This record gives sequence, C-alpha cells and structure tokens, in this order.
Amino acid sequence: MEKLINSILKKPAIVLVTILLISIAFFIVMKKNSRMETDLDKYMPQEHPAFVYSNKAEKWFNIKDGIIIAIENKDGIYNPRTLKKIKDLTKKLQKMKEIEKNDVTSLYTADNIIGTDGGLDVKAFYKRVPETKEKLEALRNKVRSNEMIFGRIVSDDETVAVIIARINDNVFSQDFYKRIINLSKEFEGPEKIHVAGRPIVEGTMALLGPADMKRMVPIVILVIIIVLYLVMRNVKSTLFTLLVVLFSTIWAFGLMAALGIPIYAVSTMIPVMLIAIGVADGIHLYSHLFHFMQENPNADKRTAVKNMLHEMWKPVVMTSVTTAVGFISLLTSEVYPIKYFGFFTAFGVMAAMVFSLVLIPAGILAFGLPHSKKKINIDEEKLDDSKDGIAYKFADWVIGHKNSIYAVTVLISAISIYGITKVWINSSFLEKFEKDSDIVLTDKFINQHFGGTSTLNVILEGKKEGEFKTPDVLKTVAKMQDEVVSTLPVVGNSFSLSDYLKRMNKVMHADSVKYEAIPDSRELIAQYLLLYEMSGDPENLWQVVTEDYKKANITFQLKSDNSKALKSAIAVIEKYRPAFAKAGIELNYAGSGYKALVFTDLILEGQIKSLIMSLFIIIILLALMFKKISIGLIGSVPIIITALIGFGIMGLLNIPLSTTTALISSIAIGIGIDYAVHFIERYKIYAGQTQDKVKTTHYTMKHTGRAIIFNAVIVIAGFLVLLFSVFPPNRTLGAMVSLNMFTSFLGTITIMLVILYGTNIYFQKTKTKGE
Amino acid sequence: MKKAVLLIAILMLTGITVHAQEKLTGLEIMKKVYNRPTGNDMEANLTMILISSSGNERVREIKQYIKDSGDVEKKIMFFIKPADVRNTSFMNWSYDDPKKDDDQWIYLPALKKIKRISSDSKGDYFMGSDFTYDDLGDRKPEEDTHKILREEKLNGEDCYVIESIPKDEDYMYSKTVTWIIKDKWIGLKKEFYDEDGEYLKILNIKDYKKIKDYWIITQTEMDNVQKNHKTVMKLSNIKIDTGIPDSKFTERMMKRGLK
Repeated sequence: MEKLINSILKKPAIVLVTILLISIAFFIVMKKNSRMETDLDKYMPQEHPAFVYSNKAEKWFNIKDGIIIAIENKDGIYNPRTLKKIKDLTKKLQKMKEIEKNDVTSLYTADNIIGTDGGLDVKAFYKRVPETKEKLEALRNKVRSNEMIFGRIVSDDETVAVIIARINDNVFSQDFYKRIINLSKEFEGPEKIHVAGRPIVEGTMALLGPADMKRMVPIVILVIIIVLYLVMRNVKSTLFTLLVVLFSTIWAFGLMAALGIPIYAVSTMIPVMLIAIGVADGIHLYSHLFHFMQENPNADKRTAVKNMLHEMWKPVVMTSVTTAVGFISLLTSEVYPIKYFGFFTAFGVMAAMVFSLVLIPAGILAFGLPHSKKKINIDEEKLDDSKDGIAYKFADWVIGHKNSIYAVTVLISAISIYGITKVWINSSFLEKFEKDSDIVLTDKFINQHFGGTSTLNVILEGKKEGEFKTPDVLKTVAKMQDEVVSTLPVVGNSFSLSDYLKRMNKVMHADSVKYEAIPDSRELIAQYLLLYEMSGDPENLWQVVTEDYKKANITFQLKSDNSKALKSAIAVIEKYRPAFAKAGIELNYAGSGYKALVFTDLILEGQIKSLIMSLFIIIILLALMFKKISIGLIGSVPIIITALIGFGIMGLLNIPLSTTTALISSIAIGIGIDYAVHFIERYKIYAGQTQDKVKTTHYTMKHTGRAIIFNAVIVIAGFLVLLFSVFPPNRTLGAMVSLNMFTSFLGTITIMLVILYGTNIYFQKTKTKGE
Repeated sequence: MKKAVLLIAILMLTGITVHAQEKLTGLEIMKKVYNRPTGNDMEANLTMILISSSGNERVREIKQYIKDSGDVEKKIMFFIKPADVRNTSFMNWSYDDPKKDDDQWIYLPALKKIKRISSDSKGDYFMGSDFTYDDLGDRKPEEDTHKILREEKLNGEDCYVIESIPKDEDYMYSKTVTWIIKDKWIGLKKEFYDEDGEYLKILNIKDYKKIKDYWIITQTEMDNVQKNHKTVMKLSNIKIDTGIPDSKFTERMMKRGLK
C-alpha cells in the first residue's frame, strides 16, 4: 500500500490533474442528471405488505390526500359575497389540471340529503348564490340540520367554510403550490383564506428541507474553512483538506447521478457526513506533518511526506474502512433512500481516504510544505510548549481520576439508558415545522374549527358480497366510530357508510332524531342505498364502500399527524378487531398518515438493526486490525457511549426519532471510531517506542489528542451553524452532530484512555519479560 | 319492358327520396328520432349490468311497463334482483310540457311507504348507471342546436352524423355527436363531451329488432371513458301494444309489486 502510494506520488502534478479532471467530469454529470425526489411515496418500500395493502385500498375507495382551503369571515359565511367566493373558488379548483372535478368538495358541491313532505331528495345546497335574507336564512338552516355537513364543511360557529381538493400523490410541485397560493390570494379580503392539508405539508417539507440545506451548507463550509485555518494557520493545508471533502462529495453525487439515482431528502445528509468525516483525515495527516517538522526542522518535503505516509496510512485506511463499513450496514434497511444514503456515503468516505493519501501528499510535493518556516515555527514552538503542558497535564489528570471517570461514565450511561426508554418515534410531518410558521398556524386554525386535518383510514373487508348491508356489521362500525371520536379528543370526526344510512333513516322518518340510527332490517338498508343511488351521486358512496358492498372504508379525522395521536386511535379501533373477525371481516389500515407511521417504524427498526450490526462488524474489524479482541472492545467504547448519550438526550429532551435524527447515530459510529483508531494506533506506536506507560499516554495525548480536539472543534463549529437554520429538523441535526462529535471526542480521551491504560495492553509483554 | 319501367320508376322514386332526405335539417332528423313510433305501451324485462373500472359487475333485473297516453309518458318499474331490493318499485310520469318537471315515486317494501323523490335535473344518473335520464331519451330535440356534420356508413348502415350543442350553456354536456341510421331513425352511436369539451362517454346500440312494425332498441352499452365505468342495458320478453290499462300506473300497483 505504502509503496503503491509512493510510486503514484512520483509525479504529483499528474495525480493532481487526473483527480481534478475526474472530479470535473463527475461534476458535469451531476449538474446534468441530478434530480430531486419530492414524492414521499417514492421513499417507502412499495413491496412492504402494509404499503401494498394501503395502495390497493386507496384505489378501491379513491382515497387521496386533500388540500384544505378555508374561507373565514368573522361575521359569518352566510352572505352573498362569501358564498360567491366559495362557489368561484370551487369552480376554479375544479378547472385546475392537477385536480379532478369530482375530487373537490365544498358547500357548493356537497349533496344535501333532505326529507321533503313524505319524500327524499338529494340536492345541492345552492347553485345560484342566494341574495335575499330569506334565502340566506334558508341555506343556513339547511346546513345546520345536516349533520353530514355541519361541523365538517361549515364550522359550528358558521364563520369558516372549507373547500377540500383531493389530489394524487404525484401532482404536487412547487409550481402547483404557488398557483394554489396565488389563487387563494385572489379571493382574500375581507375574508381570510387559509391553505392547509397533508399535500401542502409534505410538499413544503420535501422542498424546504433540502432548500434550507442548500443555503446552510455553504455557510457550514465557510465556518469550517475559517476554523480550519485558525487551527492549521496555513492556507495550503486548509485548502487541501477542503478539497478532499469537496471532491469526495462531488464523486459521491456524481456517481449517484451517473447511476440515475435521484437525490432524496436524506441524501442531503451525505455532504454533512463527508464534511464531518473527511476533514478528519486531513487534520490527522497535517497534524502529524507539523509534528514531524518540529522534530526535524531541516527535513525536505519528500522525506516529510514519506514519513507522514509511513506513519499515517494505516490509521487513515483503518478509520476510513471502519467508517465505510458502518455506513454499508445501512444496506440492510428496507428503505431505499437510506440504502442509497449508506452506499454513497461509504463510497464518499473511501474516496476521501484515497484523496487524503494521494491528494494531500501530492499537494505538498507540488506546492511545497505547508508553512513558511521561520516566523510561525517560533510561534508554534511556543504554543506547542504550552500545549504540551496541557496535554501532559490532562493525561495525568485523566489517569489520576480513573475511578471518578469510571463512575461518571456509568452514571451518564445509566441516565442515558433511562432517557432511551423515553425515546419515541414521530412520523409527523407537521411537527417538523416551526411552531409559529404559517403552515402550523393554519393547521391549528382548521383543527380548531373542524374535525381535523389528518386522516386515518380503516378498511374492513368482508368475505361475501353485500356484507356491508348487514345491520349488525354496520352497527358495530357505528359503535366503533362513536367510541373513537368520543373517547379521544384528538379525533374530531369520522365518516363511513353508517353516516349515510343514519342520515337517510332520519330523513325518511320526518327528520326524527330517534331514527338517526342504523335500520334493523337488511332489506331496508339495501333499499335506502338503492334510493340514494337513484337520487344522488353514487360516486360519493363509492368512497365509503365498494360497489359489491364487500369492503368498507371508515375515515377518522385527527387533529394531529403525530405518531402518538395515530397510535391512540389505532388502540381503540383494535378493540373491535375480534368483533369484526367473528363476522369474518378483516380489519386493516390505509392512507398516507398510516403509511408514514409504518415507514418511521421501519426506519427505526432498520436503524437499530444496522447500528447493532455495524457495532459488531467494527469490533471485529478493530480486533483484526490490531490483532487483539480486547482492542476491538475498547475501541468500541466511545461509539457506544456516543450512541447512548445521543439517544438518551433525545429521550430526555423529548426530541422524537425521525428520519433525520435516527440517521445521526451513523455519524456517532463513523466519527467515534475514527478518534478511537487514531488514538489507539498512536498509543501502540509510542508504547512500542517508549515501553513506558506514562510517556505513552503523554505523547499520544499530545500527538493524537490534539488532532482529535482540532477535528472536533472544527466540525462542531461548522455544525453549530445549522442552529440558525429555518427548518427545525436541520437545527436538530446540527445540534445532534455537534453533541455526538463532542461525546466521541471526550469519550476517546477519557474513558477509553483509562481503560486502555488499565488493561496494560502493549505493555504486558515487557512486563512478563521483566518478571 | 315492364320490368324496365318499374326499375326506372323505382330509381326515380329513390332518387326523389334521397333528394328529399338531403333537404332535412339537423333538427328535423333529431325530431324523427325522437318521434319514432315505438307503440303505445310496452312491457319488458330490463337487465342492467353495471361494470366498474375494476371489472366488478352488478346485475339488476327489473320488470318495466311503459305507456304513452298523449301528453304524459308513464313508466313503472319493479325490481326483481338483487333479492334484498325485490319489489322495490319506481314510477315516473314524464310530461310533454317542457316546463313541467317529472313526477317520481318510489316504494320501499321494507319501509312499506311510498315516497316521492325528485332530483335537481334530468342530468342525474339513472339508478347509479352511466345513463342520465336525458340519455334514456327524455331530452327534447328543441333543447339543442343541431348540425349535420356528414353522412357515412357505420356497421353497414347509412348514417347521418349530427352534432348537437345545448342551448343552455350550463348543461352537463358541451356537445354530443350522434350517428343516425337514415331510414330507421335509430341513433346507432353517440359520443358525449363534458362541460370542458372533453370526451366523456360513448353510447353504442348493440342490438335492435323490429317488433310489431316498430324498431325497438334491445341492447345498449354506455361507456364512461373518463371513469372507465360501463353500463349494459338489455330488454327481453318485450311485448308491445298489449293495452296496458292506466290503472297499472298507480301507487296501489307500486305497493302490490310483482306476484
């Protein structure tokens, strides 16, 4: 390996030009072929049974997510102007090419099932906008007396009416969103128009997250450049360290584009990972170089580079391989974007390794050693003296307080484990937004006035045709709806075939509330349904039951899309599973909210699986590299502690696990292992050289400890920038990466050192010899 | 020689007829279709097959009686199948006077009550099928502006192709195009375009028969291409001009049902 690198480095200019050319080629491919994937359905494993079923059910009942446009008039909606706005906006939405005409529901399109003297009628609430007082009053009464509409399309206080436009998953785009917003603005004043609904939330999130990343990453890089420069005090080394990160990122995204794989939201984390990991190699290499230059001030650049590579290629390769393996373990995930994330990050890490071992030395050879000798040399020597002092003192302090360190570690681990038990997964998209953002406020507003902006679909599947004309079955459905809605404040409403039948039964009995119930006779149910089909628009009916009355769809409206809310509803619904099973009816769930719930569970499960797996692989790798099982175990200590603290703090601070936060554990592994490997490798070398435990810890702390702290400071500074992000998940990411870097660093130079010191590894032989 | 004279006469006559036909306006053609005699009364079994986009079929069997008594056409229908709606009956009185809405009643045997039903417009779908009441022949020719597009052969029959545009701009169709068999005055095929001018449905006449000198359409198929939903209607056991009494079309008969 070393020979290979040295022979390559005979012509540094060619190396530099070649890497540059390939990078440019990748960059062009990336510019040309990269595309962003914003359809969240594409993120989910389509072959997973829950998704397969949900997608089928969505087809049966035409289940789609709805954009909700609320028209608010504080003086009440029953005036010609507001009613005209409802009508006009409805018509305009129906004309949009992304929306099917039948998928728009409002007071203007809704069916009013009413009883007339001795008859039944399905009518529109209004066609021409009512102008006179009497007509407006009549409309108000029509709405008030229809429980299928009142509180669902018109708010109970009669100040808000909603228009719901259901759209397919794949039609949402920035442009479509803009047109919806512009359209609603046209109708603004004095009425207020609010736009909400899952497609808006999902769409905005899919666009906002990466857009925010795009804005923040350059600032992160800038801060890293500045700190890198402050630490290295040298332009050339700063530049080459950055080039390593930059080129590895370009190669990763270039390969992705070349293979035709789109950029997913999680892919935007790849540069984040590569920055955190990529700078480490550069720092360690240059740190060693400076160290060497101090000890051998007169060495020429070739000698210096040779020594650097000789001493450092091994830890660089080891850290990179272990890190890459950590990411490769993500291939076990069922979620494709995460698989890709793991693969391309691993590729980027390996690329960064190659660049560190080739680009950095080539740069030194081509452009000279990275500092003008005299002035800074004196400065640095001074600094180094004082730093030596700190490093030695710190090492002594650590060794001196080993019992306290053990105790503190155990205590922190215990608290973290307690915290971990409180970790919960959140599939909510809405909660990823700022609490005072428009999107959250609108959602809150609509939830205050209506049943809820989020939906959960319960799909019941009978064995025989006409199952959902059976009175007992429908009564169970109605009972289940009642229980879920009445016991859970978070569930605002529900809707199913039973609501149609209750309404028709009531209307056919002169609007008597007594008859607002499921009829006892199967024939009557069948005849009501026939009657409805004959007088109304059966299309509406096929959203709650299939034409053969074998399957039914019950929609629950929730005021929150978070996992706790969904799970609480599911818990109540599950109580009815046995009752349905007895009738031979299967119960399943569908809809985007449920899919998101399953999806996050999958992510977490995959994340934990890959975390455990990579931990084992890394222990084995370390053991093989250092030819000692004990080293494998010791080296994994900082990672384990980092992961524990990371998850523990999330639990204690009530930060839910989500797609982004779950991935942060990969960083813990990726970076924690780097620190440990560099530290142990150096420790081993000094142990061999000095045969003195105290000296070894001193030297290692001075050499590697310094590099590690530089690395940690640089990356933490960079990621703290994300705290100023406008997108909360990115803020969490910044804080968590910084935290993980910090605990990895601290864990390595304290508890790991203590254990390493305590086990007498690398000194045992001498001792036995001595004895 | 005699034969030759006859031949010439026939040729001349046909020539005259053809000439006369060329002079027909679109409206006149549509009126001929609308007014094509189909007898004074009819009794038949109607089988309605509703086919959903997933291919699921629902079959309804209905016994129907229709009687034209001058200014009002009365129709009574009894469900035979499915079993849970057996003897549900439906009665419709449709008036020639365009200002007068149809009267409709339904009898639900499970409720033992007759209810009057009404709908907003004739654009409503008939019993959840792909046919609206208008599609079933209730729409009067005067409600549209007709234009002869061309003449062409369809299924071996000489047809007029007529484009009809509703006078009422808010009507559910923006345009229909009908293929009409020249001497039989049967609409053989009809295309429907929705409010936005987009192709919506196609009606195909699958079978028609001459019964007692009347051309009776016995099987039709309506295909909603936008929803991918289809309805097939078949008539069987057709009896024409049997002298169905007016007393057949009463609430009492609705309640009595089929024996």
